[in-house]
Amino acid sequence: MRELVARYLSQSISRRTFLKGLAAAGLTPAAARSVLESVVPSAQAQDVEGIRVVEGTGGECFAEQLAASGVRYIFGNSASEDAHFYEALVDRPQLKYILTPHEGPGAAMAAGYVKASGEPAIVMQAAVVGLANAIGQMFNAYKEQTPLVFYSYRTDQTGRAGRDGFEEVANQEGIVAPLTKYSWLARNASMIPETVRRAFKAAWTPPYGPTYASWHSDLNDQRTRAEVIVQQKVDPRMRVRPNPAEVERAARLLVDARMPLMIVGDEVTRAKATAKAVKLATLLGMPVTQARSVHANFSQSHPLWVGGLPVGRISSLDFPKNPDVVINVGNKLQHNSPNPMIGHGVKFIDMRIDSWSMGNVIPVDVPLVADVAFGLDDLIAAIEQLVTDDLRKRYAARAEDVRAFGEKRRRLSGLFVKSPDWDASPMIADRVTWEVAQFADRDAIIVHEAGSVAAHSFGFNPDGGRELFFYMGAHLGSGTGTAAGVKLARPSRQVICLTGDGSFIFGPTALWNMARLELPVITVVYNNHAYSGPHSRVIEKVPNGRMVETGHFVHDYLGKPDMNMAWIAKGFGVEGEVAHSPAELKAALARARRATMDGKPYLIDAQVARVGVAWAESPWVPAVRERGEPERRM
Amino acid sequence: MKAALAMAGAVLLSCAALAQQPAKAPGKAGAAGFPDGPGKDVLTSKCFQCHGPSMWTAQRQDRRAWEATLYRMVGRGALWNEDEIGAMASYLGTVYGRKAK
Repeated sequence: MRELVARYLSQSISRRTFLKGLAAAGLTPAAARSVLESVVPSAQAQDVEGIRVVEGTGGECFAEQLAASGVRYIFGNSASEDAHFYEALVDRPQLKYILTPHEGPGAAMAAGYVKASGEPAIVMQAAVVGLANAIGQMFNAYKEQTPLVFYSYRTDQTGRAGRDGFEEVANQEGIVAPLTKYSWLARNASMIPETVRRAFKAAWTPPYGPTYASWHSDLNDQRTRAEVIVQQKVDPRMRVRPNPAEVERAARLLVDARMPLMIVGDEVTRAKATAKAVKLATLLGMPVTQARSVHANFSQSHPLWVGGLPVGRISSLDFPKNPDVVINVGNKLQHNSPNPMIGHGVKFIDMRIDSWSMGNVIPVDVPLVADVAFGLDDLIAAIEQLVTDDLRKRYAARAEDVRAFGEKRRRLSGLFVKSPDWDASPMIADRVTWEVAQFADRDAIIVHEAGSVAAHSFGFNPDGGRELFFYMGAHLGSGTGTAAGVKLARPSRQVICLTGDGSFIFGPTALWNMARLELPVITVVYNNHAYSGPHSRVIEKVPNGRMVETGHFVHDYLGKPDMNMAWIAKGFGVEGEVAHSPAELKAALARARRATMDGKPYLIDAQVARVGVAWAESPWVPAVRERGEPERRM
Repeated sequence: MKAALAMAGAVLLSCAALAQQPAKAPGKAGAAGFPDGPGKDVLTSKCFQCHGPSMWTAQRQDRRAWEATLYRMVGRGALWNEDEIGAMASYLGTVYGRKAK
């Protein structure tokens, strides 16, 4: 019997085999059960809160760990080698599987859900072939620091791996290593839960980012026994307070500053610290701006808001022209120019949890590595200790200057309505945006993937007003999926997706998810039948070249035939229409509202003018047939 | 291709509420070669913080189209009044109008 117990403890035999062995050794069923109960505690960590042992297929253990990791929604595309996982879902209704017809929009939907809910999710692909489709959105998640877990099996089974077989590639998990915080191949079925656990832990430990878990497909089928542990038992809960000495230095710099400037970023929104950012700015009468981000992280109607950084450098701001102290609160500060965003003559305080990117480009005078909610609390407290009545008067005067600029900015920034093309048909993009902004709910969520479109007129305010989800990562085809995920997470909020025709056509399949799941999103496609951004950019780079001279642009025109996005939407089960003029757009938006009130998504194909130079009335289309080649009519 | 599209799109969003990719910003020194004329000073002081000279030299369009272009930039965050826009549109329509090609 000792050998039998040893084999059971080493997991060489199953519980059933163990009991059979005991019976064969002459024990009664009751005695055998008693022996089993006495053995179990030494073999397992059962009865320890948050930890339990699960026996079953690899797929079952996978499902159990997802539930323990707090997952509610699983986004995936059909994958036959996940059969045992699907089997496990049947009796685990707490795990809700959302079938997405393409891995890219599926991953965008998962990322949208994670960003809007703050809850964990997993997105699954079929082997490396499905993963390849999802990598674009993995790139977005990496750039946007979205804590999304990706999984795909290796089709090559353990018994035949390494033979360049069907759907096999060497080092599958290595393909995504540069885009993930953690990428791992579980070596046996019992390691599946631990691998998944670590994927969630790594993704959700700040700074956030995507992770990837993988294993050979036959491990899903194997029976095993493994510990399943809840997320709370492995989460380091990395909410770090800043170094107090650095807080004191930062406070002193800000208090003494002639003209401080605050840059805000997405860590502010993620830490739910937008009100604290307002408090700090208000305390000092400090102007606030923002560099490229996913969210609008400061109220755009606040008197201290001076607008975004025009070209990613503070020197391009209209106001203030010469800040002497700049504090960044939670912005990644994506650099796209040889010139640093902040010049060397300015004292720079960098408050972020993402210490990895601090100091790489901009020298930092005061680093504040922190969860920005704690960081702002501590900094505000330190400043309040230093502020005198005289300083308060100085700050009030400064705030008045900022407010005066803000009033001027608001007055002038609305002048685009004076455009000579304001009432034109097809519409100018600014008119479409303005009409949507007039239409949108006061707390609407705007998902923005319309590259050439300025999201003016919305007056975003993360503290109870309109919110923004911008495609910072810039892999296109994310907008529709993101909007679906956001609506899944925030069902009571109006969600409007703004997308260009070029962007939209990269990822329309999420419309089907909107229809199937009754996610009433309003999608507005700015359809100018062109890649207008690249059109203008190539002219800027080759201003007097043959392209301009001949009108032969091979890369930018999407007409002939024109794509009808409303028809595409109908193909996915979403009602839609084409709007050619401002009047038609208003009417279409009204119908969209009625549809969404009935729980139905709606799409508007807004016909937008191609603007800029060298657009012909009927643009040239490159021929592929050689001259004299016969026509291909069969 | 997707990245290229996104970059280009980002440039056009550059002066919006969210800062985007930078164009080549030459500063006022980049105004060398721009013919003198009413509106030039406004142009060089208001536009060259974001844009390089080829933004203008590449484009040949009439005054009305320049005016529409400038109002489009207002939607992207440019802060000009109507007089300034009118002066710049007249200058560009004269110097970089269709006939100047």
